[in-house]
Amino acid sequence: MYAADWSVLWSTQYGPLLLAGMLSTVKLTLLCLSFSAVIGLLVGLVRWDGGRRAKTVSSWYIEFARNTPPVVQILFWFFSASFLLPSWALNAAQDFGLSSAAVVIALSIYHGAFVAEVMRGSLSAIARGQLEAALTLGLGRAQAIRLILLPQALRLATPSLVNEAVSLAKNTSLAMAIGVAEVSYAAKYIDTYAFRGIEALAAATAFYLILCGALVGIGALVDHRLTRDEVRA
Amino acid sequence: MNWAQVWSLDNLRRLFVGELWDGQPGGLLLTVILGVLVIALSTPLGTAIGLLREHRLRLLRIPAAAYVHILRNIPTIVLVFWAYFAPPYLGFEVSRFTSVAIALTLGASAYIAENVRGGVRAVPRGHIEAARILGLSRWQILRLVILPQAFLTIVPALTGRYIVIFKNTSLAFLIGLTDLTEVGREINTRLLVAPLEVYLTLLVLYFALNRCVSTAMRKLEVPRNLNRFFFLPHRPA
Repeated sequence: MYAADWSVLWSTQYGPLLLAGMLSTVKLTLLCLSFSAVIGLLVGLVRWDGGRRAKTVSSWYIEFARNTPPVVQILFWFFSASFLLPSWALNAAQDFGLSSAAVVIALSIYHGAFVAEVMRGSLSAIARGQLEAALTLGLGRAQAIRLILLPQALRLATPSLVNEAVSLAKNTSLAMAIGVAEVSYAAKYIDTYAFRGIEALAAATAFYLILCGALVGIGALVDHRLTRDEVRA
Repeated sequence: MNWAQVWSLDNLRRLFVGELWDGQPGGLLLTVILGVLVIALSTPLGTAIGLLREHRLRLLRIPAAAYVHILRNIPTIVLVFWAYFAPPYLGFEVSRFTSVAIALTLGASAYIAENVRGGVRAVPRGHIEAARILGLSRWQILRLVILPQAFLTIVPALTGRYIVIFKNTSLAFLIGLTDLTEVGREINTRLLVAPLEVYLTLLVLYFALNRCVSTAMRKLEVPRNLNRFFFLPHRPA
């Protein structure tokens, strides 16, 4: 039977590495979460009620982003950023760390596509009359969307968005493919250099369970707040 | 642009079939083999777990629920690492291909279990009662009444799951399996000057593969085609 030695997890040599990895995972998750929310909201609005050409372009983006592996998208951005990004964006990316920037760009684009589909779905689920009534009452189009449609759409979208957030948190582990020192990278490192793979993997697994559990919990709170004063038929 | 360099005959062979002539399938072929194997394994496993979650015995329901909730919250990479790096500590070796297949199967089965559960719940209660009154056994009710209807409702959801499986096969390269992603990485490392072309090629290949998956799955949205998987007559008698 295997004799586990858990002290490796808080040894001065590997403990800080693991902790930094966890912080890095949380940071990547939050960054990608905010960017993909913005992308998803904008593209979702276009998909829902945009011009014909804008709809076609955004549907191509969604189809392509959703049907290709996120890890290949990360590799693509990591190796091709210098060819694709304008120089100011490249400089910003390099200041941030090119590999982390590639992960943020790739995962925001990947999950933005999923968020866009969720937003389109929930916007379409709201009766068309709502928009028409708002416009008739003298609200501008932007106002009607912001004040009448989005609050209702978000209420419908919360459960799916929580699933997306969990999936995003899990996908930040792909960052290790290009050497970003997040928590799975740290686990792999401890396996390679301290031969304590089981302990390290157990720590990483527990960390992901807690992180995803926290996201689900936050989602439940938000859902509760959004739906508490909903009139039930 | 360096398309000619990227799409040299040798590179195309490696991208599509790997070292198949030397008995080592790789590239797109390996990705497809892995994906199809994982689908074939995770669908029955997920169905079983999904049915256990609806079982009347709590002793069976709770472990099944734990299985689903734990596996759904662990990144696939961590599962792959468990399957590949943990066994040697316990004194045995698992091949790269087997460990990736096991990890992807476990991860996918948890999601499929949730889909199947949803599908089973959507079967009208009256159908099951009618089948029981007609004298069908529990197993017959499951195979002839519940599962065909449940799967018919979840075909679109399963299509999404299967696409995720094919996307996740790209993690095989992390433990050194020469799947499509790894071949692309090798070509990129050798050329150095054409990352854009190499990775665009990979993305387009994966896109085409997943398009084939959705097209094939759309055929199963017709009951006549789906029923073959449950050994039912092709047409209602």
